Amino acid sequence: MSSIAFKPFTGLRRSSAVPTTTNTTPSKPVIKFHVSAAKTSPKLSNRDLRVAVIGGGPAGGAAAETLAKGGIETFLIERKLDNCKPCGGAIPLCMVGEFDLPLDIIDRRVTKMKMISPSNIAVDIGQTLKPHEYIGMVRREVLDAYLRDRAKENGANVINGLFLKMDMPKHWDEPYVLHYTEYDGKKGAMGEKVTLEVDAVIGADGANSRVAKAINAGDYDYAIAFQERIKIPDDKMVYYENLAEMYVGDDVSPDFYGWVFPKCDHVAVGTGTVTHKSDIKKFQLATRNRAKDKILGGKIIRVEAHPIPEHPRPRRLSGRVALVGDAAGYVTKCSGEGIYFAAKSGRMCAEAIVEGSQNGKKMVDEGDLRKYLEKWDKTYWPTYKVLDVLQKVFYRSNPAREAFVEMCADEYVQKMTFNSYLYKTVAPGNPLEDLKLAVNTIGSLVRANALRKEMEKLNI
Amino acid sequence: MSISMASFSPPPTSFSVKPHFTHKSTLFLPLKRPFLFVSTPKVLPDNGARGSASVAAVEDPKPKQPDPVLEEAVEGSSGPKGAATSSEVEVLGKFEDPRWIGGTWDLKQFQKHGSTDWDAVIDAEVRRRKWLQDNPETTSNDNPVVFDTSIIPWWAWMKRFHLPEAELVNGRAAMIGFFMAYLVDSLTGVGLVDQMGNFFCKTLLFVAVVGVLLIRKNEDFDNIKKLIEETTFYDKQWQATWQDDTNSKNN
Repeated sequence: MSSIAFKPFTGLRRSSAVPTTTNTTPSKPVIKFHVSAAKTSPKLSNRDLRVAVIGGGPAGGAAAETLAKGGIETFLIERKLDNCKPCGGAIPLCMVGEFDLPLDIIDRRVTKMKMISPSNIAVDIGQTLKPHEYIGMVRREVLDAYLRDRAKENGANVINGLFLKMDMPKHWDEPYVLHYTEYDGKKGAMGEKVTLEVDAVIGADGANSRVAKAINAGDYDYAIAFQERIKIPDDKMVYYENLAEMYVGDDVSPDFYGWVFPKCDHVAVGTGTVTHKSDIKKFQLATRNRAKDKILGGKIIRVEAHPIPEHPRPRRLSGRVALVGDAAGYVTKCSGEGIYFAAKSGRMCAEAIVEGSQNGKKMVDEGDLRKYLEKWDKTYWPTYKVLDVLQKVFYRSNPAREAFVEMCADEYVQKMTFNSYLYKTVAPGNPLEDLKLAVNTIGSLVRANALRKEMEKLNI
Repeated sequence: MSISMASFSPPPTSFSVKPHFTHKSTLFLPLKRPFLFVSTPKVLPDNGARGSASVAAVEDPKPKQPDPVLEEAVEGSSGPKGAATSSEVEVLGKFEDPRWIGGTWDLKQFQKHGSTDWDAVIDAEVRRRKWLQDNPETTSNDNPVVFDTSIIPWWAWMKRFHLPEAELVNGRAAMIGFFMAYLVDSLTGVGLVDQMGNFFCKTLLFVAVVGVLLIRKNEDFDNIKKLIEETTFYDKQWQATWQDDTNSKNN
């Protein structure tokens, strides 16, 4: 009956469920009925379900909070509690509501953006925003700490430790054994090695995830984002009061964009690339050059770089271990946005565990975690695909970028872009306007390419 | 000065620009030590005069246009070398053209026989983009660029870009069509009118037209194949986690 509906997934359960010998264990003969897993998983008689969340960023913090609220014994392992992550720091409006973020976490509300083409044609966007709409700029250390503290308030155990490795269970009802180094003020910098037994693991440890390595999740392509924090004079800072800039061009990045984002009292100037990582310094120089007039007199206070995954890992789930956030590779193309998706995926995974374990009373299994993947793919696949198409079409070449900036001047485009960014839904627009938009896009692309062909003739 | 030169990365690109242009340039410019000025500690060495040679070559095919940038460049490059002249060097680096006013092309200066000479506007914009591609410039809040290519009417684009290519392609198609019609007639005895009535021939004609539209050069074959692969690549990456599942089921 329902086995047919779940056909694609029984395969994995069949292979992970050891054949007949385990049927003789005292618990119910679960294997045959794995289809409706939660109802027949063994009840945990004397304890709650134990889940470890590795990594205390937005994904880890959100997951730990949801797990703790759901009555599960949660362990949040974070290696550096005051970590100042290199990050753009932009969060969409919906995140503030969905995660009940206090407004004082948000340093700035960006309500205007400027897109600048390779030939410096500048287009202002943001006129279509309503007064209550904005893009929030946060400091990662503030946001991460807030989410972790909230998880702690709800009952999660926050551990300052560095995850080392994980022993996989040999039988399906054995726990995962985590090895980590606990940092405790008393023991000094070295920390002591500790093991922890848990029933399930959520890997939220970012782009270089060790949990992903432990489950052979595979690799992904990644971009390098390079950023310099520059403190500029106050009169120049006024311009960036609530405005962010995006620079596109071959000089700035061959496949991404350069940016100037305002932070609490300084600006972050950066760029990124996937294909030409060794030239990143050159691109950064070019970005600073393009913004030169506006950041003149500024002092660089910090230089940072970090990898950004370009697509999900081949395997996001194995046994009772799931990946979320950057560890899973949930960063969108085109805009490179990851904070919201990290937090949301952490929450979704935790919700699936809470539901599958019936608030911590039953053991979960892979099927419950698969539900999180299903829900995630169904909800956000359109967003990711649309951004991928946009990147492929508009970040290809300088003419494409010129066309991109031209298109941004259109009000309908601005409205659709902001709606989908701020609320994370791909809403179908007016079909007539869509048609006009398509025609205009093709027109812009054709014109820009024609100009480029003429430019090449000049070279000869 | 020498220290700042050592820390300055792009000279290789500026010197690679040189060989393309100097042999074309009728005016010899004492070629460019890149101009460096340090406006504040730690920020942005700049090479203002790097593009002067490229301007010379670009101006060459249109000698009738005034050449303010070139004149200034000649002055500037033989001029001072220190950091004190930062303001002059900055002006040199920027794109300048008497018809470029307020961040867009002043259409009134493109008048020919009482109406706007759109070809000249296109040429001017092409030169500006070429200049900026070789010498990326800073954007400025005081002089924003607001030019939009859509102010040039669609028929100007058609006339300049589409029609010549259309003529070429149609000419080739006509020649091939005539030859193929003759060949088919000689082989099968079916005349032109009867060929047009036959479904197979009509299909062949359709395939030929589509083929000519999509594949103009040899590289287009590979480009189209790559495009098709590209459109589904991201989907495959996302589905990988489910693929894993069915593979183990089949094992």
